[in-house]
Amino acid sequence: MGILLFITVLLIAACGLIYELIAGTLASYLLGDSVLQFSTIIGCYLFAMGIGSALSRYIDRGLAYRFVWIELMLGVIGGCSSALLFLAFAYTQGFQLLMYSLVVVIGILVGLEVPLLMRLVRGRYHFRDVVAHVLTFDYLGALGASLLFPILLVPYLGLVRSAMLFGVINVLVALWSTFLFASQISTVRALRSLCVVVLCLLAVGLAEAKHITAAVEDNIYADEIIFSRDTRYQHIVLTRFKDDIRLFLSSHLQFSSRDEYRYHEALIHPGLSAIPAPRHVLVLGGGDGLAVREILKYPQIESVTLVDLDPEMTKLFSTNPMLTALNQKSFLSSKVHIINADAFPWVDSNTDSFDFIVIDFPDPTNYSLGKLYTTAFYKAVARHLSVQGLMVVQSTSPMFARDSYWCIAETLKQAGLQTFPYHVYVPSFGEWGFVIAGHRDFQLPASLPAGLRFVSVTGLPAMFQFPPDMSPLPMPPNRLNDQVLVRAYDQDWKDISH
Amino acid sequence: MKASRRQFLQSGSAALIGLSIKGDRAITGSFVNDSFQLGHHLRDRAQFPAPKQTDKRSVVIVGGGIAGLSAAWRLHKKGFTDFVLLEMNNQPGGNSRWGENEITPYPWAAHYVPVPGPKAVYVRELFEELGVLKDGHWEERYLCFSPQERLFLYGRWQDGIEPAIGLTAADRDQFRRLEDHIHTFRATGKFTVPMEVGFSDSTADLDRISFAEWLRAQGMNSRILNWYLNYCCRDDYGATTANTSAWAGIQYFASREPEEKGPLTWPEGNGWIVRRLMERIGYFVQPNRMVHRISQTNKGASVFSGDTEFRADFVIFAAPTFLAPYLIEGMAPLQNFDYSPWLTANLTLDRLPASYGTDPTWDSVFMDSPTLGYVDATHQSLRTHIDRTVWTFYWALAEGSPKENRQLLLTKDWNYWKEAILHDLERVHTDIRQCVSRIDIMRMGHAMARPNVGAIFSAERRTLTKPHGRILFANSDLSGFSIFEEAQYRGVTAADFVVSKLGGHRISR
Ligand SMILES: Cc1cc2nc3c(=O)[nH]c(=O)nc-3n(C[C@H](O)[C@H](O)[C@H](O)COP(=O)(O)OP(=O)(O)OC[C@H]3O[C@@H](n4cnc5c(N)ncnc54)[C@H](O)[C@@H]3O)c2cc1C
Repeated sequence: MGILLFITVLLIAACGLIYELIAGTLASYLLGDSVLQFSTIIGCYLFAMGIGSALSRYIDRGLAYRFVWIELMLGVIGGCSSALLFLAFAYTQGFQLLMYSLVVVIGILVGLEVPLLMRLVRGRYHFRDVVAHVLTFDYLGALGASLLFPILLVPYLGLVRSAMLFGVINVLVALWSTFLFASQISTVRALRSLCVVVLCLLAVGLAEAKHITAAVEDNIYADEIIFSRDTRYQHIVLTRFKDDIRLFLSSHLQFSSRDEYRYHEALIHPGLSAIPAPRHVLVLGGGDGLAVREILKYPQIESVTLVDLDPEMTKLFSTNPMLTALNQKSFLSSKVHIINADAFPWVDSNTDSFDFIVIDFPDPTNYSLGKLYTTAFYKAVARHLSVQGLMVVQSTSPMFARDSYWCIAETLKQAGLQTFPYHVYVPSFGEWGFVIAGHRDFQLPASLPAGLRFVSVTGLPAMFQFPPDMSPLPMPPNRLNDQVLVRAYDQDWKDISH
Repeated sequence: MKASRRQFLQSGSAALIGLSIKGDRAITGSFVNDSFQLGHHLRDRAQFPAPKQTDKRSVVIVGGGIAGLSAAWRLHKKGFTDFVLLEMNNQPGGNSRWGENEITPYPWAAHYVPVPGPKAVYVRELFEELGVLKDGHWEERYLCFSPQERLFLYGRWQDGIEPAIGLTAADRDQFRRLEDHIHTFRATGKFTVPMEVGFSDSTADLDRISFAEWLRAQGMNSRILNWYLNYCCRDDYGATTANTSAWAGIQYFASREPEEKGPLTWPEGNGWIVRRLMERIGYFVQPNRMVHRISQTNKGASVFSGDTEFRADFVIFAAPTFLAPYLIEGMAPLQNFDYSPWLTANLTLDRLPASYGTDPTWDSVFMDSPTLGYVDATHQSLRTHIDRTVWTFYWALAEGSPKENRQLLLTKDWNYWKEAILHDLERVHTDIRQCVSRIDIMRMGHAMARPNVGAIFSAERRTLTKPHGRILFANSDLSGFSIFEEAQYRGVTAADFVVSKLGGHRISR
């Protein structure tokens, strides 16, 4: 009898802690900032337990009956807490409110458990022993739960099913208590049937939890993969989370539809608006058509030539309705000519001249891509600039890859060009940098196309100012025979991740 | 991430297909550009037809390697047009020949030129003309791209070929001491490219011992250092340090101090230079013209090729010098000209090995391999995406006597060499057999001059650098070792000599 009683204590302690850990983990997953989430949740939870303990003194009749009810409620609320929170996050705005409410309710119920239990067994043991044993098993339960949670529950069951499982345990404790304290309860039969019904419901929930998890998780932190293909050149992945579409090329993020307008407006307009009468534009890279979308905002432009290596990429962004909605069917414009070719040889053999040249390649993560960031390449590109022409280069982050950014600027300089470096903030990338370059001086444009969401005439000057933590560093140029950029880039990101 | 049913089925069938092609694929190929037979013909003094026609020229150049082509380039630049170049092969270039397939051009032998120093004035002149050197800057796209070289040792790759990992303090100390020695030698100004510029009798002692002996005398016994130096000698001279004169070993290091990160290289190797030269003087080049006899009087010389007798005032003999006694009437046999046998192979890779290991490099070398590794012909491509390529595999048969190795080259069949090459590569690139579709092999019995002990300072060599009546020798082997700069220097100076003698007459012809 005694040992069974104390195992009950151990189990309810474990259940209580598990619900708290689930809330903390979920909040960290979904909202980020795990320190804040765990601290506030533990605080609320402990405080609510205190309320529960205080409230326990107002219960003076039907202790056993009420204890069973508390267990049942905990089983239902705690067991469903994880699923409820996921659903609330995916489909409502009230995630945090629901979360703290759940934490408080569960905390109060857990706070009631132990005082009631102690009073229930008061007559059977010495008070001294009761306190010692109950607290010992309470803490043991907490230890077990905190070890089980990260090692077994999260990896093997996931958050939704872990909660359900411990809900089932709470209800089993309820059922078990109707036997343990049978003599103190008048409506034992009714109570037992209720327990069995709730148990069945939770068991169904446990079995079906997989579906909830899949539905909910797809919608939440594992973005749904809507496209994935290995082309001859790269691995293209598109993900969607709500209205956010993201493109990954060989697992590097290229854009997030939520803030790409910042990147592409900043890439195009400061340079293009500064050219008096632009007619012919060249885009190197940029197979997503987003830069072209911005370029087409200038009605006087007669032709846009886009050179991208991967035909599958340009095809995807010409045909997929979700993506053409994003690039406003820019590839379908009769002004746009798509050429699928390797950029350097193309630039080398072509002889056309352009008023504006956009160079938007993946970051120089390897020596092959690094060739597209060399003095030799920029010299070859600069031969295509018309008299009024300017070019703009996506140049990595002056914040996270400061060496790399200034190395690219220096490379353009050594290619014989005047350079005008600038930067913007793009939430999904962080601080991002570009360099405008040309054979001539560059003046900030006095007007911009209508309807821009980010770049504005008044905001332009600030983009060309670099605060001390991003200010120029002396770097050697990147050359084909000495690709310092690839090594610098590698080092920059290593420094960040340590 | 959810894998759709379709994706699952696709990957399933891919795995099935993968299984069926996993086995080794058929590798085709053959021996190419074999000149053994022609060479043997000459030396056996086989019967050649009597001349049916004569052709009179001021100058006849024999051999269209870098030396012969450079002589032609120089004559042409000096306003000479009354000359002809006779080349035995159907393609000019000699050791700087190249090939081409649907993937890329590739070299057959010589594949780079170290960034020339200030004393290589003719090389710099040529490179200025070809746009390789512009306003004092070396054109970036002709400099070897990053990353240049790598060495496989201790089961992994390191940057560069000079061993840098796993060195003991003693190894480091010896590397440093060697560098100090080299520094001192360099400072004397007596080790230069071309070698003739700084050549001095005061360094003759170094030609009396082998490089290996010299290293021993300096107490340089580090195994790693000796491996590296042996590699260098095999690479440049086709000989081990024990078979290389200490003078030549030191020349390799002390003659250069590049002003730019090089070397200069092109997809087709030095074949690129041959092509540019041919654009300029191709008109004067007659391929498929093997010279089988040369006779001279004190007024001029006759060069016999096929059924034609070319009568010339001067002959620039740019074919390998060891052939001269077989061709030139009355010439005594040579004692001091020795040559290293080599084998090169071009491997067509339909895909890159999964075991490639690093970002693609130009030159890959395996430590402790008898071969010299391979050079990637697409490395100098401007493309960012490369999924097929050609590797040129280099193997100087340096161990043992050249004679025996030549015999080995002649007697073993293509399959033997193919297996030997794949076996060497397989130790590092385990899946190489699944990547290679073709291996063409070129055997060169007398590939390059070998600077044996005593060869550099031999009276014989030094005499041959002077005019031999109406015949000027010009092959790179006159320097005692064969490199591009020496070939070009010999060709240009032979042409200059001829011009100085004929200067006044050239218009009258
Ligand atoms: C495998 C290998 C790799 C090398 N790599 C390099 C390198 O990377 N860098 C470098 O600087 N050097 C390299 N070399 C050295 C190379 O030999 C020189 O660079 C240079 O090409 C030598 O030119 P050459 O004109 O002196 O001699 P060759 O190239 O030998 O030219 C002689 C020519 O004469 C022709 N000939 C021979 N007999 C007759 C005849 N009877 N009638 C008519 N024509 C005849 C031959 O067909 C040939 O074309 C390499 C050599 C080899 C073998």
